[in-house]
Order: sequence, then structure tokens, then C-alpha cells
Amino acid sequence: MGDIIQADNLYLAYREDEPIIRGVNLAIKRKDFLFITGKSGSGKSTFLKSIYGEIGVYKGDLRVYNQSLSNISNANRNILRKHIGVIFQDYKLINEWNVEKNVMLPLMIAGYSKQVCKNQAQKLLRHVKLSHKSSRYPLELSGGEQQRVAMARALAHNPKLIIADEPTGNLDEYSSSVIWELLKNVRAHIGSTIVVATHRIPQTLGIDYHQFYLEDGVMHEIS
Amino acid sequence: MRSLKSHISFIIPLFVLLFSLQFSFMLNRAVKSYETGLVDDYSIVVVSKDDINASDLKIKIPYISSIIEIKKDKYISRLKNDISRADLTYLKATLPKFYSIKLIKLPTDKELKIISDDIKRYKGIKKVETFKQTFNKFHQFLNFAKNASNLFAVFIFFISLLLILKQMEIWTLEHQNRMYVMGLFGAPYWMKSASLYKSVVIDALISAILVGLLFYFMPDFIDIDKIKSDLTLDLNNFRFFSDTFRLILSSLIISVISVTITILRQKD
Repeated sequence: MGDIIQADNLYLAYREDEPIIRGVNLAIKRKDFLFITGKSGSGKSTFLKSIYGEIGVYKGDLRVYNQSLSNISNANRNILRKHIGVIFQDYKLINEWNVEKNVMLPLMIAGYSKQVCKNQAQKLLRHVKLSHKSSRYPLELSGGEQQRVAMARALAHNPKLIIADEPTGNLDEYSSSVIWELLKNVRAHIGSTIVVATHRIPQTLGIDYHQFYLEDGVMHEIS
Repeated sequence: MRSLKSHISFIIPLFVLLFSLQFSFMLNRAVKSYETGLVDDYSIVVVSKDDINASDLKIKIPYISSIIEIKKDKYISRLKNDISRADLTYLKATLPKFYSIKLIKLPTDKELKIISDDIKRYKGIKKVETFKQTFNKFHQFLNFAKNASNLFAVFIFFISLLLILKQMEIWTLEHQNRMYVMGLFGAPYWMKSASLYKSVVIDALISAILVGLLFYFMPDFIDIDKIKSDLTLDLNNFRFFSDTFRLILSSLIISVISVTITILRQKD
């Protein structure tokens, strides 16, 4: 099976000559469930951002779906992002839109009809147990509920690659378990590759996974 | 409520901007029409010892539209009861020639002096009468009003533009999160900015139509016909379709440029 993500001697930096990620070599295959752990500020989020092109490659190469992210054009980056589902630690919901419309976003971008978008959004909101709050606005929800909405949005277009940055960092046990269950199901049923940056890996995940540890910008494989 | 406030904050400066432009445009149009009437009535009288070659003088002075000789026979014939036939014949033979010169446009003081000096330089010219004082006062006042109005329009334009730029900053704050999140999921430029363009096009249309309606109904509130009869200045020159179309076009151009600047200023 081909690699979904491939990093070759990858360097990432926000400032010239101050790389956050240094010389990472990594190959992530289809259906891999991968955890990237490390202390705060170790570069976990930066690495995830590079996968969906929010931060550019400083040195080396990073390929996602065989598309090099070094000097990628805006149009190609947009195409790439349509195939990735992203869950952010701070949710990044659109506060002026209701929950249903937030979940519909990736489907609207993919060009589906309004009815298809609505049906799929409702289905996912049932999965995250929020269908009764579909007309609410994000700021009317708790943090855990907002993260479940963000989760539903990330899965709406059945992406083959899901990136999650501290998806359960600030959540209660119930919301955390809903999120981990959904990620496991998506991997099992759609065959998605899942990359999660987190401080702590849940004890009762019940699946095989890879773990990498980031320290001083260098990535070490643990399992 | 916030959305309504945002619309009004854009519509008001745009309305003022379009109003000042339209007012200035209409005043210019009225003055131009007044000048056309004035130039038809205005002529310079030239006294010359010799015949004037009209085409030659026209080449030398491009401001001239026509040169007509004033026939002196009928004026001389009025004197036939008062002076002898011999004197009348002498008078006819020795009187210089009189010409009426019409111009293609109403000259400024400076232009009139140049024209007058150029005519005087022509062979045989004895006197040039420009009748400057008789037509000049009201025209000068009109020109002053026109220039003041243009200056005022420029001033209003910049003030309104500043308000529009301020509103753009508010838009940037209002829309940047939504556009950023949409971008993270791969939304193209047109999709990210569609709602902004839609809203601004509606505001532009509202502003332009309001200004159009205001000028259309203005004669109902101001006695423009009296101004016309007293001052021969036609301020009732608003052409509903063409002027409203121009207002809409200007409004759309200003709005679309504003919103495009706003969007391009957002970091990708």
C-alpha cells in the first residue's frame, strides 16, 4: 500500500534559521492510526499544520497523497485540503453559522447539493449525539459539544486522512469517549488514516497504533 | 441587528459620496448648458479699415466659429434726412468695416484677452470690443459655484472614502475567522468571499437607487422652475435612467474595489 504521508528530512520553521521540526523522516500508510506525543511547544501542532499546508516546508520534502507540499500552489493546496478532515484543539467553528451549517461546510466546498449536505450533516450530528442541537450556534454549546461538532465537520466528507490536534485536550470523559469511538469507527469503515497530536494516549483504545515522540524538533518512533 | 448596522455603516458614506458626485455633475451640466446659451448670444465686434479674410483669421485664432460683416447701409440710411447726399456718400466711402465674431466657446478672461490681442494684431484692425463686463458677472459667479462644488465633492469623496475604509476594517474583523476556517477546508477564493460580495452589491444598489430617487424627486421639494426663469439656469437636468445607471455603475465599482481590497488584505 502507498504512503499517505511521507516526510523526507523535513524541516519546518516560523523564522529563518530557527527550525521547530528538524530532519523528520516518516512514512504513514493507509489506515494507520498514529499518535504524535511530546511536551508543549515540541512542535506537534506545527507538524500537523504542515500536513494541510498551513505552514510551508522550510527544508526537505513532505508529500501528502503524493503531492509535494514544497512550493505548492494555492489551488493545489485547496484541492488537497478537500481530502483532509481536520480537528483543531480550539475547534475553529464559524460562530455566525449554526451547528448544522458548520458541519455542512466541507460538503458545500466539495459542491454537493444543499439537501445532500443537510442529510449528511444530520447523520453525523446523530453520531456525535448532537442532532437535537443542530440549529444552535457554537457559542451556545459547551466546549465538549463544540469539539463534537468540529469532529462531525471533519468527518462530513468521508476524508481518507484525518488530522486531529489535541482533540480531547479540554474535554470531559463522555465527549472524549465519543470522539475516540468515532475515530476508530471511521478508520474501520472508511479506511481513513488518522494522525493525532496529543499529550496522553487513551488507555482503553483497543486498537493497534503507532506512536512517535517529538523532542527538540526531532521525532522518535516509540511503537 | 449587527448585520443591519454593518449595512447602514456602508450605505451612508456611499450615499453621501454618490450624492456629492451627482450634485457636482448636475451643476456642471447646468453651467455648461448655460454657457452654450450664452455663447450663442455673445459676439465680439471688430472695426477694421480693410476687409477681413474670415478663413485666414479663423486659422490664426481657432476660438472663432464665425465672422459676419455687419452691413452698415441700413444704419447710414437712417441719416439720409439729416445730412446731404454728398456727405452720405462720403460717409459710406470712409466708414470702416464692422464685423461680428462669434466664438466656439465662452472664453475665460485670460482667453478673451489672448483672442482680443490676436485680433488686434491682424492687418487693418482698428478696434476690438469684447463687451466683457456685460456677460461676465453672473458667469463668473456660476464658475465660482461650479468650482466650489467640485472642490466640495472632492472633499466629501475623500471623507466618505475614509469612512468606507473604516467599514472595511470592521468587515476584516467580522469575516476573517469565517474565511480562514473555510480556507482550512479548501474553499476557493470566490466561495470564501461570496457573502461579502453579495452583501456589498446589495448595499451599492441601495445607495445608488436612493441617490437616484432623491434627485428624481428633488424638483418636488425645491422650486427649480423659478431658478430657471430667474437665472436661466436649468438645474432640473437629472436624467433618470442614464444618471441612475451611472450611479449604480460607480457605486458597484467603488464597492467591489473596497471589498476586494478587504479580502486581499486577509492573510491566506
